[in-house]
Amino acid sequence: MAHAIWSGAINFGLVTIPVKLFTAVRTNDLRFNFLHKKDDGRIFNERHCTVCDEKVEYADLVRGYEYEKGHYVTLGDDDFKSVLPEATQSVDIVEFVELDQINPMYFDTPYYLEPEKKGRHAYALLRESLREANKVGIARVVIRSREHLAALKPNGEALVLELMHFADELVEQSDFDFPELKEKVAPAELKVAKMLIDSMSSESFEPEKFHDDYREAVMAMIEARVAGEEVSTPETKRPAATNVVNLMDVLQRSLEQTKRGGVSARPKAVPAAKPAAKKAASAAKPKRKKSAA
Amino acid sequence: MTATKKSSKTQLTVGGRALQVTNLDKVLWPRDGYTKGDLIAYYRAVAKWLLPHMQGRPLTLERYPNGIDEAGWWEKHIPRGLPDWIPTVKTAASTRHEQIEFMIGNDEATLAYVANLAAVVLHVWYSREPTLDVPDFILIDLDPHAGCTLATLARVALAARDELASVGVTPLVKTTGGSGLHVVVPLEPRYDWDQAKGFAELIARRIHDVQPDHTTLDRTIARRPKGTVYLDYVQVGKGKTYVAPFSVRARDGAPVSMPIAWSEVEAMRRKRTKTTAPEMTRWNIGNVPQLLAKDGDCWAEGWRPYRLEPVIAAARSLWS
Repeated sequence: MAHAIWSGAINFGLVTIPVKLFTAVRTNDLRFNFLHKKDDGRIFNERHCTVCDEKVEYADLVRGYEYEKGHYVTLGDDDFKSVLPEATQSVDIVEFVELDQINPMYFDTPYYLEPEKKGRHAYALLRESLREANKVGIARVVIRSREHLAALKPNGEALVLELMHFADELVEQSDFDFPELKEKVAPAELKVAKMLIDSMSSESFEPEKFHDDYREAVMAMIEARVAGEEVSTPETKRPAATNVVNLMDVLQRSLEQTKRGGVSARPKAVPAAKPAAKKAASAAKPKRKKSAA
Repeated sequence: MTATKKSSKTQLTVGGRALQVTNLDKVLWPRDGYTKGDLIAYYRAVAKWLLPHMQGRPLTLERYPNGIDEAGWWEKHIPRGLPDWIPTVKTAASTRHEQIEFMIGNDEATLAYVANLAAVVLHVWYSREPTLDVPDFILIDLDPHAGCTLATLARVALAARDELASVGVTPLVKTTGGSGLHVVVPLEPRYDWDQAKGFAELIARRIHDVQPDHTTLDRTIARRPKGTVYLDYVQVGKGKTYVAPFSVRARDGAPVSMPIAWSEVEAMRRKRTKTTAPEMTRWNIGNVPQLLAKDGDCWAEGWRPYRLEPVIAAARSLWS
């Protein structure tokens, strides 16, 4: 069971629903350490001062905000502590709006809210009322010493808290050169385009269909190395043809050659036997020593 | 178990050799409580049945001196301070590799020595000294992919047995101690690596032909269909290794890679377990010595080296 970020409550009006907050997304990123090529030694970074040309300890550092080129205002840990928002550990709903009112670009990261025992009934009631009204709660919430804007949404059995960007964080569309809304698009063109979209449409969205191919390929390579296998260049996609007959041909030929010559030769490729022979041939190392028959 | 924090040393005499072992109380399996002392005792207890599978074969150790939860490593090259009574061989795993000096495990004292290094898993070559270029068996690794049930794994293994039986071969089977099974066919030592690999591939493709829905040959893990068994035939090769029979694994329960009778596989076929690994922990450090003392190594009489020529000839008429 995951560890809760905090225990607190959903608050609005006179309603208080005790809940625990959990992350809803676990990133799959592969983590690597940097190692020295020569001896696999772990690398660590040193802090180096450009003025006194010496190594500096972490405790001797302070944060500087560059307000003008080359000019800084420095802020220490105590300064940050003094502005810290009260760690209220609550989701304070300030208003309710219809979900369609919110541009999806505002949504950032989802969190789960799980009710404490006492709050289960009120939680379910809130969830169902939001669902029926097709509305979401807009709330302020403090997570890890930072205040966020968030939307409280029903999602299946859960109430999900989706953190949102502040308005000034979204880049304006006017900053870019998009085709204008009033630009003419002929009905016939639109019809053809819609047909194309229809032909590629899916009944339902199944996210499980999509894989992080790159990550999986890297993991496969890593697993092969752990198992002691050599990692060769990726095999080109081969049709799943189980060319058992061709394999047997190749093997038989190889065994006959061994019997005849007393030296095992690389299995000769036969034109019709391409897929299997390619496999057997590529398995043979280019420089073969003689081996005992 | 008294646990002294200081490194504790003990003198052992094994087969006439003097050996110093340390930290016998160090727990290597945190959730089961097995210690390094237990590991040493285990390998000594099964030596009689394990050693025939290790004779003359270059040995690679998988070591976990700080227990199975901490990172372990594979060690091919002999460790510093190797006793002079342990034979070694210098060889290159392939034309691309430099020469490595491997140790060879021929006696109980060597087993005690490597177990003292916390070598939990013992990996050995497919060939023996002095003919390291000649494989004396092939192996198909039946590796269950996510969602594969015990019954499916057993069904695929039994298909392997049946197909091989049709061409006159009775294969051997062992658990890997992980989640899968190894199907092994001993060979007369007269074939080269390509012929051995070709034979292994032939068997794997035949199994896939007769059990297409329950098996996959796809080397990319991401592309394997759920619930299938991956048939791995590329494990055979010069310098490649397999987990020695009776080797322990670095997993909870201290499972052992156990040679089993085909009747056990038939029993697995009837079980309803959703995953395979729990069944495999039935054979572990705690019970394998007693099982061996009672029933012996079921591979011992089953190890009959086959000639490939008649097998391929039979396959040509039956498998085309």
